[in-house]
Amino acid sequence: MAETDLLGMPLAEHERETLRIYEELKTLASRDDLPPCVARNVRQALASMWQATNDLNLQFEQLYDLGV
Amino acid sequence: MAYSPYWNPKNETLPREDLQRLQLLKLQRMAAFAYANSPFHRRSFDAAGFHPEQLKTLDDLRRMPFMTREDWMASIAEHPLFGDLPATAETNGIRYHLTSGTSGRTPIRVLDGTKDWDWISEMWCYGIWGFGVRPEDVVYFAFGYGHFIGFWGAHYACEKIGALVIPGGAQTTEARVRQIVDMGVTTVCSTPTYALRLWQQATEMGIDLATQSKVNKIILSGEPAGSIPAVKHQLEEAWGAKCGDTAGMTELGTIMIFECDHQPGGTHIIEDHYIEEVINPDSGEPVGYGELGERVVTSFGRGFIPVLRYRTKDMVMKVPYSTCSCGRTGDLYDGGIRGRWDDMKLIRGTNVYPRAVEAIVREHDAIDEFQIYIWRRDDLRDEITIKVELKPGREAEWPVVEEALARELAHAHEGLRFLIELMEPNTLPRFELKAKRLQDARPVAQY
Repeated sequence: MAETDLLGMPLAEHERETLRIYEELKTLASRDDLPPCVARNVRQALASMWQATNDLNLQFEQLYDLGV
Repeated sequence: MAYSPYWNPKNETLPREDLQRLQLLKLQRMAAFAYANSPFHRRSFDAAGFHPEQLKTLDDLRRMPFMTREDWMASIAEHPLFGDLPATAETNGIRYHLTSGTSGRTPIRVLDGTKDWDWISEMWCYGIWGFGVRPEDVVYFAFGYGHFIGFWGAHYACEKIGALVIPGGAQTTEARVRQIVDMGVTTVCSTPTYALRLWQQATEMGIDLATQSKVNKIILSGEPAGSIPAVKHQLEEAWGAKCGDTAGMTELGTIMIFECDHQPGGTHIIEDHYIEEVINPDSGEPVGYGELGERVVTSFGRGFIPVLRYRTKDMVMKVPYSTCSCGRTGDLYDGGIRGRWDDMKLIRGTNVYPRAVEAIVREHDAIDEFQIYIWRRDDLRDEITIKVELKPGREAEWPVVEEALARELAHAHEGLRFLIELMEPNTLPRFELKAKRLQDARPVAQY
């Protein structure tokens, strides 16, 4: 897990936690054994967490490979 | 409850040099993504001899070719329905919208994926929160919710903020006025034109919105008039509410600038999500702070259809962030979007911009509605007539208004003579979305 943001600034505790949840959602979204109610809601949640982590400069990436 | 005045305190107050480092990093990644995945951009970059690896500093952005609406339209015509701009499979799309097609051209079709669509509301959150909307607010959307993207993103932004959202939808103006009053609405989202229309309707119904409604904020979008001081003043007086301007475009899906609650007379650029250049529209060279130029936008949001160095034809004047006292480090466009370069009309050798005319007309409180009518006399001489309707009960002011309008318009346009014509009440068209107050009736030359 990264210790700094994209600008090299150390992560605050809430930033570290936000990034961790985002990464876990990515892992979950990459699974192909999830029922629709989980698969689609995970993608919705991932889209929201993309905003939070992008706003905080924790990542800048695309998620189309995950259908998000 | 005490809230931060900023939606994103970290980036909205980021020192300029860090903001620019962030922009460069995002630019490098977005350009590389577009080159790898969008046939349109790969072709365009290759033709210009440009490669994303050449982006070492922000100045290198100028090596990237411009993207134009004409290129985009040609791509759509050649590869229906969406052209070869999309950087991912169309099956990843969850939302489809069109440009409003105000200028009569074929609309542009756009697609968004799940995170793009959420980003669209995120940008509105910067603006809506920045103007003071909070979870306790009741927000009314005077908007028809069609295929034009309009206030869709703002609607979802207000839900995200936690405000109570009332979608106006397809109703009469009278029904909307009643809903605004009855539901205790505190914030109205509307075009400037329609906010005036709502107030006119309320007046006809015997309702004084300034005292009989709870509206204290009006968020404007869709027309340049949102930053015209006279329009704003008129709206703020009529509604007893603060008016904040925003501006966006369907090509981006959302807003890129907003007025904060300090109301500095300009709109902050959301610079952690965009690079906004201002160029001389003829030479393509950058212009400095305080100079009028054309907006060129690069977006870091919607990856589905990357928008890189897009020439908007919007007329703007950038001023430094220090112009505003709110603490944000995003630069501003003084006076918001001041008009469009392609809106300019040439009348007997003089440039006439509809927004400049509107700014003068709206200084006259007795005027209810107006239209700019351009025509040709005897197939030879171009004329410009301002058709005017007065507010009920203000008819006696006509001689003064007529004389003053003619004088002020001529003074602002190198002595060009404007004809002023009084119209009967309710004969000029009214608008809900983008007002079309300019009618050019001159014949098109045939050769």
